[in-house]
Amino acid sequence: MLENLKRLFSYFSVRSFLLLFTVVVAIYLIIIIANMGGYMDKIKESEIMEQVYNTVRGNPALQRLSPSELRAILDKQIEIAKRQAGLDKPFITRSLEYLIRGITLNFGRAEQMTSDSGSNQVRLILLERLPHTLLLWGTADLLVFFVSVFFALALSRRYGSFIDRLSVSLAPLSTPPVWFYGILLILLFASFLRLLPYGGFVDAPPPSTTLAYVLSVIKHMILPVLSVFIALIFSSLYSWRTFFLIYSSEDYVEMAKAKGLSSRAIERRYILRPTLPPIVTSFAMMMISLWMGGIVTETVFAWPGLGRLLYDAIQHVDTPVIVGSNVIYGYLLAITVLLLDFLYAALDPRVRLGGARRS
Amino acid sequence: MRKFWAFLLIAILGLGAWAQVRNGAWVDEVVFQVEPDRAKGLDMLRTGAIDLYWWDIADPDLAKIIVSELNYARLAGVYNELTFNPYGPEFKDGRLNPFSDPAIREAVNWLVDRDYIVSEFYGGLTAVPRYFCICPFFPDYARYADVARALELKYAHNPEKAKAVIFEEMQKLGAEFKDGKWYYKGQPVELIFLIRVEDQRRQIGDYVATLFEQLGFTVTRLYKTSREASPIWLRGDPAEGKWHVYTGGWITTVVSRSEADNFGYFYTPRGSGSPLWQAYKPSPEFDEVAEKLWTSSYTTLEERRELMTKALELSMKDSVRVWLVNQLSYQAYAKNVQVAADLAGGISGAYLWGLTVGFVDPATGQRLVGGTLRTASSNILVDPWNPIAGSNWIFDMTPIRATADWGTVYDPYTGLLWPQRIERAEVTVKEGLPVSKTLDWVDLRFAPEIKVPEDAWVDWDAVNQRFITAKEKYPEGLTALTKCVVYYPKDLWSIPLHDGNTLSLGDFIMGMILQFDRAKEESPIYDESYVPNFESFMEYFRGVRIISTDPLVIETYSDLWYLDAEWIVTTWFPYYSQGPGFWHNLAIGIKAEAAKELAFSADKAKKLGVDWMNYIAGPSLDILAKYLDEAIATNYIPYAPTLGQYVTPEEAATRYANLKAWYEKVGNFWVGSGPFYVAEAKPVEKILVLKRFEKYPDPATKWLRFAEPRIPTAEVSSPAPVLKLGAPWDFQVEVTFKDQPYPLADMDFVTCLLFDAEGNLVYSGRAEAVKDGLFVFSIPSSVTATLPVGPIRLEAVAVSKAVAIPAFAKAEFTAVK
Repeated sequence: MLENLKRLFSYFSVRSFLLLFTVVVAIYLIIIIANMGGYMDKIKESEIMEQVYNTVRGNPALQRLSPSELRAILDKQIEIAKRQAGLDKPFITRSLEYLIRGITLNFGRAEQMTSDSGSNQVRLILLERLPHTLLLWGTADLLVFFVSVFFALALSRRYGSFIDRLSVSLAPLSTPPVWFYGILLILLFASFLRLLPYGGFVDAPPPSTTLAYVLSVIKHMILPVLSVFIALIFSSLYSWRTFFLIYSSEDYVEMAKAKGLSSRAIERRYILRPTLPPIVTSFAMMMISLWMGGIVTETVFAWPGLGRLLYDAIQHVDTPVIVGSNVIYGYLLAITVLLLDFLYAALDPRVRLGGARRS
Repeated sequence: MRKFWAFLLIAILGLGAWAQVRNGAWVDEVVFQVEPDRAKGLDMLRTGAIDLYWWDIADPDLAKIIVSELNYARLAGVYNELTFNPYGPEFKDGRLNPFSDPAIREAVNWLVDRDYIVSEFYGGLTAVPRYFCICPFFPDYARYADVARALELKYAHNPEKAKAVIFEEMQKLGAEFKDGKWYYKGQPVELIFLIRVEDQRRQIGDYVATLFEQLGFTVTRLYKTSREASPIWLRGDPAEGKWHVYTGGWITTVVSRSEADNFGYFYTPRGSGSPLWQAYKPSPEFDEVAEKLWTSSYTTLEERRELMTKALELSMKDSVRVWLVNQLSYQAYAKNVQVAADLAGGISGAYLWGLTVGFVDPATGQRLVGGTLRTASSNILVDPWNPIAGSNWIFDMTPIRATADWGTVYDPYTGLLWPQRIERAEVTVKEGLPVSKTLDWVDLRFAPEIKVPEDAWVDWDAVNQRFITAKEKYPEGLTALTKCVVYYPKDLWSIPLHDGNTLSLGDFIMGMILQFDRAKEESPIYDESYVPNFESFMEYFRGVRIISTDPLVIETYSDLWYLDAEWIVTTWFPYYSQGPGFWHNLAIGIKAEAAKELAFSADKAKKLGVDWMNYIAGPSLDILAKYLDEAIATNYIPYAPTLGQYVTPEEAATRYANLKAWYEKVGNFWVGSGPFYVAEAKPVEKILVLKRFEKYPDPATKWLRFAEPRIPTAEVSSPAPVLKLGAPWDFQVEVTFKDQPYPLADMDFVTCLLFDAEGNLVYSGRAEAVKDGLFVFSIPSSVTATLPVGPIRLEAVAVSKAVAIPAFAKAEFTAVK
């Protein structure tokens, strides 16, 4: 027993360390890539110079200064703007600061961005958008996941039927991306039929009562959720159906069938049970992917989510926000992977943690 | 039955009268939401989901839809050019730079076909050809339209001439042309084109690159975004030769009354400290002219005209930039909406949009009262709002302007200033300065010397919180180049603020204090980022004095002057750089910054590690509310040694009580005195709701004349298709607006230009006004006798006082003996 615990602890420690190391390396790579290895500093400095020098144009007060006086004022403005953009320290120093702050979850303040409500705390910037992303992508992904898993299970038991063949032939509908369906649905339901809004989170002006507000949000969710659903459901259905089909043709399933067990019992005990680890993995991965939202889809529907936020952060090269967003994703991924290891062992007796010795 | 008709008549008259007494905004509510995709925004407009789309559209296909189906405002503030690397003739590594030769750069003007660019890449709708660094839609172009037109014809598309010049100059530079290619020291002459990819500059870059390839140059095309290109052309050393041509683009967001400084900015090292600018070597003559225009070193308008004429000519000879097009983008709105729009900045740039926007009856064209205007923009509530150093995004400044009021407001079509809260102004200018006035509300005088009075406030003592007088700081005396006295009306102190207070002298004094205090190190709200602005302010500020408090009269002394006396007027009305502010709501912000819990500017917020102050949403509100309670508890008057002389404890108590009630009602501290107030700000949902301020004192009709630009249309008629040389010729120029004669009172002048068959200017002059909408241009027989036989073209340029855009017209005829 003690040995088992020791082995478990050792496995947990090594695995945690490796995952943490991976996260650290990944985050530092993101910092380097986002800043183009420090070249972004030059770009930002050029932009600052351009902006500051532009203020001279059309400003007689500055034009009547002597060249040295003018230069002194402009240099000062450039210096302030550079400091504001965080360029007063070398990139290498800043990159390590970003990393340390990121992995210790001390995200601090953004360099340029502010939260929608005006705060420059990275924590608030992220938290402000999180509920909207969770609401949209949570609803859409859960819908896709459960509908596809349960329908796929049913289809796997009706291999070759009309409905099965129909679902297989519809699978290519998942080739276009979500935003393509978004635009199509907007054209149809907002522009042509004028039944649903073009986008946004809620009606403008927002309804004053809570019920009306909730209904308005639901109305605004219909098109984005529908576009996610249409774009993903067929391929998801096809994958799960094929997956279940493999398990459905196992000998033990045939044996259960021969024993005269009901379809429901066969599905639950003989197909779902052994397929649970991959289903759980897929579900867990889907849940953490919610954190990143969807850049293009959120933009098409003007949805105030994390995807658009990350896009804005990349545009501004606001490293603390990029790091904050990715560190959380990295940690969520690492923790999920770790937990899944344990979950596999719990769900599937064939799985052993830490490499069990054979006797 | 008779009673019924009588009742109906009374009802109609009553409604009409009610509409006439409507104060402030025409609409009840303006809603802002976000739609960053222009095509979608336009579709929302077409389907009636919104009434106005703020985001400007320059895509020719979308512009076609706008022009055919919607109302629109055109913005002319964006312009594109070719920026040349002038270093050379050889770069550091020995490669030849043909663009070091001004003659080759000048020849590019003949090489490029601006009309082709406009029609092919801008669909003929979203750009017009541009030849100079002055905008064809701004007053300076109208002033010198005769000179400009003559130069435009001189530099019209002429590829043969361009080729001849370029070949001749290349040979002079030592290059060799063989097998259809240029070589220098045995190597092909390579041109590196830095082509921007975000807009039509990609096609322009390709087009010009192809033209050079056809002339035998080896062209390398580097496609770059703004960010990628910037370090290469702006910061890179031109001597390294990493680029030869850059497809540049510039923007102006308000109508500029004077663009004389553009020559110094775009063609000489004065414009920028960047290595590229430092490589500019204008001819001594051009440099001298550009410097005089840069520093406004001229004493009469005639002298300025002479300098501008020279500068226009010499800038074409220099051509370190070859101007190509002036873009026209569109801000679209529904057919039943009317609104004022700035010629450069569009509706967003028009200070009067809030006071002029309204619905009209499509059938009658009559203004309607009330309604909700639904609008969308690319973004909204981008950065925190505070009047001192808050958001400067146009998306935010647009609604902010609708909540504000001013001493004077910009004319959206001429860039001149009109009195809004002030009654009138007297401007005294030192003799010898070429200042003139256009509008009657300014009284312009000249004086040999303007002395600053000893008791004028010239600086601020942040320790003792009192103003420093001219006598204290300049015991030897102080003079200024201008003096301006503004007179406010008697009812000024009854102007209502959104929060239920009324305007008071304290608001003006606070503005004066804050002009200085934030730049003083001893101040608890010292902000280093404000210092450069303050230093440039102090370069020209000479003093301010309050002459009378009721009615309010303020006298300001300055060394800053403009061609237009209207622009010299300083009102001190409480509008700060980023919005309206009054002493009491600023006081709580000052307390929060002094306590290092918030900061007005982004820079100071970053330095202190606190949030950037936001008066309308977010964590700032709780902090501001805390300091409001504290201010109520102590009946706080900021800068008490000075402001305490103008604000009584009773006023302070009332002001804070009203502000608290306002915060409880609308949930924000944004207080203005404009036609709208911020009723709802939903930053995450990106929705902003402005509601009409019912107590706004002015009638809604006050600025209605600006709801539509009165751009003139001109037509020239030749007395006959064939004219006899040696006889006097009379041409009629008709100027109209919407087919109605243009009133003479609103006309500035009509200039006519006569060109021969080769496009040379042979005669020019002003046409004579006959009556509304009609001018006659007479050419005496002594002149016609000297003209050549053959086709002749007469061009007329009609310039209105109401709109900066001139109207052009031409007539062609044949001259015979």
